[in-house]
Amino acid sequence: MFDSHVIHKKGEFLWEIPTSFRAGMRVPADIYASEAMLAGIAHDRSLEQLVNVAMLPGIQKYAIAMPDAHEGYGFPIGGVAAFDRETGVISPGGIGYDINCGVRLLRTSLDRATIKPFLRDLGHAIFDAVPSGVGRTGRLHLTGEDLDQVLARGAERMAELGYAAQDDLLHIESGGVLHEADPSLVSFFAKARGSNQLGTMGAGNHFVEVGYVETIFDEIGAKELGLTLDQVTVLIHTGSRGLGHQVATDYIRIMNRTMAEYGIQVPDRELACAPFSSKDGQSYFKAMAAAANFAWANRQFITYEVRQAFANVFGSLKPTLSLVYDVAHNIAKVEKHRIGDGERELVVHRKGATRAFPGQPVLIPGSMGTASYVLLGQEAALEKSFGSSCHGAGRRMSRTETYRHMQADDLYQELFAQGIIINAGSKRGLVEEAPFAYKDIDEVVNVVHGAGIAKKVARLRPLVVVKG
Amino acid sequence: MPFEIIPHTADVRMRCSGSSRDALFHDAVLGTVAMMQPTGREGDKGVTRAIAVASPDTTSLLVDLLNEVLAWMHTRREAYTDVVFNEIAPGVLEVHLTGYVAQGFGEDVKAATYHEVEVKENGAGSWGATIVFDI
Repeated sequence: MFDSHVIHKKGEFLWEIPTSFRAGMRVPADIYASEAMLAGIAHDRSLEQLVNVAMLPGIQKYAIAMPDAHEGYGFPIGGVAAFDRETGVISPGGIGYDINCGVRLLRTSLDRATIKPFLRDLGHAIFDAVPSGVGRTGRLHLTGEDLDQVLARGAERMAELGYAAQDDLLHIESGGVLHEADPSLVSFFAKARGSNQLGTMGAGNHFVEVGYVETIFDEIGAKELGLTLDQVTVLIHTGSRGLGHQVATDYIRIMNRTMAEYGIQVPDRELACAPFSSKDGQSYFKAMAAAANFAWANRQFITYEVRQAFANVFGSLKPTLSLVYDVAHNIAKVEKHRIGDGERELVVHRKGATRAFPGQPVLIPGSMGTASYVLLGQEAALEKSFGSSCHGAGRRMSRTETYRHMQADDLYQELFAQGIIINAGSKRGLVEEAPFAYKDIDEVVNVVHGAGIAKKVARLRPLVVVKG
Repeated sequence: MPFEIIPHTADVRMRCSGSSRDALFHDAVLGTVAMMQPTGREGDKGVTRAIAVASPDTTSLLVDLLNEVLAWMHTRREAYTDVVFNEIAPGVLEVHLTGYVAQGFGEDVKAATYHEVEVKENGAGSWGATIVFDI
């Protein structure tokens, strides 16, 4: 339990651990949370981890924890840290194992009343169309140059192969591709793990969710995004699958071996890092970019599969599914930010955190059966959080503990009573993702809204949840 | 088997032990295989795999070994029933795995992490470590 007496209140939703707390802290640690949420965050090692991050070379302004923060590996999940491009480091632990795990939102031409009689059919159709669960492989098995093309060009490559609608790429963060990617820096094992996983969801907290717009908070913002009340939406949450995990494993191992050569010592091996400008730093960044491209290609192919499922169920209605936006929440980006009186290029690490540039859609999925939110990034986010927001509800209970709380059949019934159809490949996996295992999404989102980081536009509620 | 799976907020934690460093590593490898939950054997043919792992310290060696094992399990669908070590230089292990081709796995253990892991010799003939796995 972190000693809360050392945490100073800086604003209604902003708290700070000053540099005086521990020798070696180069910047303070800032936490965006309500008072009640802060007490919860202080229970695990999140804040200790945030203090460790504040000690890394080249870190700028502050290490940040978002309201959904919880203990991760090295960096807390729900963390943001930015490092000077020239003098700072890059750390795989600051991005996470599931590189470019992220969320995509589609809006449809259908409304809730129209699809209500077809929810079970739709759930089955998506469950059949999108491989999910442990060991399920995808329809596209790519190797060699074909796979390298995906690693190099991400969603762009999927568009070339015919798996994207015309405007899709315009509505993906970074256009769905990081051009710094170098497939030659992705290992044999990583490519072997990913070669048959394109278009697959995975398991755990990954899902495809059909929902509807339940509440609109900002009429102008909603109109900008093409969202209307009762409109049917689709959320897709997944990442780079085994390929991204292997890239992270490979480079944490390399950096653990080579860190000492750069004169870097860290209190936690999962904070392994290298100067961004070094050979190791650049190699990881380019491999990370390739894994990020794989994730965008993955979400693009899943979008294609979901569009087919809708066409199969609602054929005569000819439904359209348009991309609202796609955000990454485990990634590092080189971005210009204001530091002092000038601008500097920084390596912004977002681990369980979403970019929230002014006017950019911010997608925050809740836990299964709860709500999700669409927000718009605000100008203040650039100053407060390197243009970053939270990414979800944040886990608060171990998987083992969830089994003690509820059985799968009871959970199915409880969600069904709320009008939610579940198609899950695993009963155990379902219980592990029960709503009570996560923080309250409304509280989490209210913090980033109240702090001026991102503005609420709409609240979505689920109708059909498909998961592994 | 002495290894034990214990709760962790987001993922899975395994406590393993042995009467020597090699026995600890043996327990950890077989525990990792068990966590992947092989769902049956495909065919009668066994598999053998020789790998080498080099790391700067004992703790890193254990984590790197388990990640090497997981990588082969994921890419070749192999489940290992025994493992023999030969330290050919300080921090360099030659590892011989024997097992079979699995029909599949019931759990997707993605990686062994370095999170809070430390190989400890607790007294004569008692080695232990607790490893957190990302799943």
